[in-house]
Amino acid sequence: MPRLPPSIFWRARREISPVASLLLPVCRTLQSTANELRWIRDHVHRTPSVIPAGIRIWQLCEERSRGVPLQYLLKTQPFGPLEILCRKGVLIPRQETESYTFHLSSILSSSSSSSSSSSPLTILDLCTGTGCIPLLLLCCSQKSSSHFSCTGIDISARAISLAKQNLSHNLALIPSASSSIQFIRGDIFSTKFTSEIYAQHLPDAAEIDVLTANPPYISPSDFRSQTARSVRHYEPRLALVPDSVPSEVSKKYGCREEDVFYARILEIAGDLKPKRVVLEVAGWEQAVRVVEMAQAQRDTRGTDYKVIEIWRDDVHGVRDAGESTEIWGQRIRVKGEGDGRVVYLSRLLD
Amino acid sequence: MAMILPLRPPFSSLLRLRPFPLVTTSLQLARPLSKTQLPARPKPPPDSEIEESFLKGSGPGGQKINKTNSAVQLKHIPTGIVVKSQATRSRSQNRKIARDLLALKLDELQNGDQSRTAIVGDHKKKKAASKAKKSARKYKKLAEEKAAASAAAAGGLTSGEEGTQPQVLEVRQDIEEDDWDPEEQEEDEENHIPGDAKIPQRDNFRDGDV
Ligand SMILES: C[S@@+](CC[C@H](N)C(=O)[O-])C[C@H]1O[C@@H](n2cnc3c(N)ncnc32)[C@H](O)[C@@H]1O
Repeated sequence: MPRLPPSIFWRARREISPVASLLLPVCRTLQSTANELRWIRDHVHRTPSVIPAGIRIWQLCEERSRGVPLQYLLKTQPFGPLEILCRKGVLIPRQETESYTFHLSSILSSSSSSSSSSSPLTILDLCTGTGCIPLLLLCCSQKSSSHFSCTGIDISARAISLAKQNLSHNLALIPSASSSIQFIRGDIFSTKFTSEIYAQHLPDAAEIDVLTANPPYISPSDFRSQTARSVRHYEPRLALVPDSVPSEVSKKYGCREEDVFYARILEIAGDLKPKRVVLEVAGWEQAVRVVEMAQAQRDTRGTDYKVIEIWRDDVHGVRDAGESTEIWGQRIRVKGEGDGRVVYLSRLLD
Repeated sequence: MAMILPLRPPFSSLLRLRPFPLVTTSLQLARPLSKTQLPARPKPPPDSEIEESFLKGSGPGGQKINKTNSAVQLKHIPTGIVVKSQATRSRSQNRKIARDLLALKLDELQNGDQSRTAIVGDHKKKKAASKAKKSARKYKKLAEEKAAASAAAAGGLTSGEEGTQPQVLEVRQDIEEDDWDPEEQEEDEENHIPGDAKIPQRDNFRDGDV
């Protein structure tokens, strides 16, 4: 990252506040520095403490200057109308995730209003982290009459405990959540995974409507060269880089190291046969590889996804530009703006 | 007239100082200023007329970076009006705030001094003027009470015409003040639009962006 000129530090001190010069190196712009300082101050004034406000503000700015993510300092991140609690050891929800979760929700509400089925919509979220994806889907469905049954799974005990806290923290917005969401600890690479999920947690689910996942997807080299310092130093590597998978397991899939979760999740999808699959990816190239992996299942497992789409970073509320591409002779609709962010697969012609 | 005759001096002085028609007039004046009479909050234009950008840096996204920038900028295509909101940490909330802001701007453009902003601004001016008047009266009353108290302490009057007059003035103010209340609510509500314009010093940093 290029060094900031001394004049901008001087302006930060003079035009914003003396503590602003602490925030500037992480925030990079005066505007963003002013915003973060405002949010830090708001947080301090909203949360009572015996320590004087001025000292707390200075302490938070000092921690932020060392690269600690703002959301770990303020302990929350807005995610749509929800307030998601954030703790060290669990990945902070990203804006792109919020955007496509909204988009998915609008797809689900338009299709559920046209179908007459009264059975609940079953959602399985793998690698759930804070639980933000199923919680937002459920929140968006509160106005509609369709009911949901959501299951979030994560290998990390911290993530599962935080997801449960997030459920109770947002209960006012999603009153139905206590009976319709469960968070369970589990390793998706476990060989008993599908049978356990079926037997223990989804006993009556004849079928799963939506399988969502934002798995670790950063390759070790991208982690070194393309990942922000604050993310590398303070967010859990387990959530970001898929190298916790034993090499004998990942070899079995014969794919790139960073794609191993997709290989496994598509295998699970082959067993559970969800109607729709929504997978977050690192960028356009990985999106194309994941599309090819899904298409390859047609021949090996007879799994036919009638609709395949790639969604870009900003997809919710962004006008459809009618973009499309072709992969292995199949027409792939491309929605939104920015880098490739989601591979969407559907067995329904919606 | 026969009704007035049995009244004790303080009441008769009240009637004298503040004939009822005055109060009624002030009520009538106050009514149109109440909440129900304000133009409704204008509706944002349809999304098909809006070009939205999320003002984020270039480079990798998703898990690789943890942006705190939630700024949203809207351009109204037919008029070219641009609004921006970075009031909250929530991008979806900023989108809504920016839309409300755009709706107000369009209303101003279309309806000029009949726009909601102009009418609300007008009320605020009147309100400020009334506040100033009121506090001037309060000070006057306080001064008078002080003077009366010191006069009493000095062994002078304890009651009578001079003592009641300020109180009567106060009654009239109370009525006036009650009438202004709906507007006060309106004003508070107004402050809840955390539009870009309310963010202090915004413009100082815009060109400073690196
Ligand atoms: C990128 S985070 C996603 C969190 C959340 N869904 C979100 O979008 O913010 C990936 C999550 O996968 C979990 N994880 C990693 N390996 C796993 C495994 N083998 N089985 C289940 N979850 C795993 C991590 O603990 C982490 O919470």
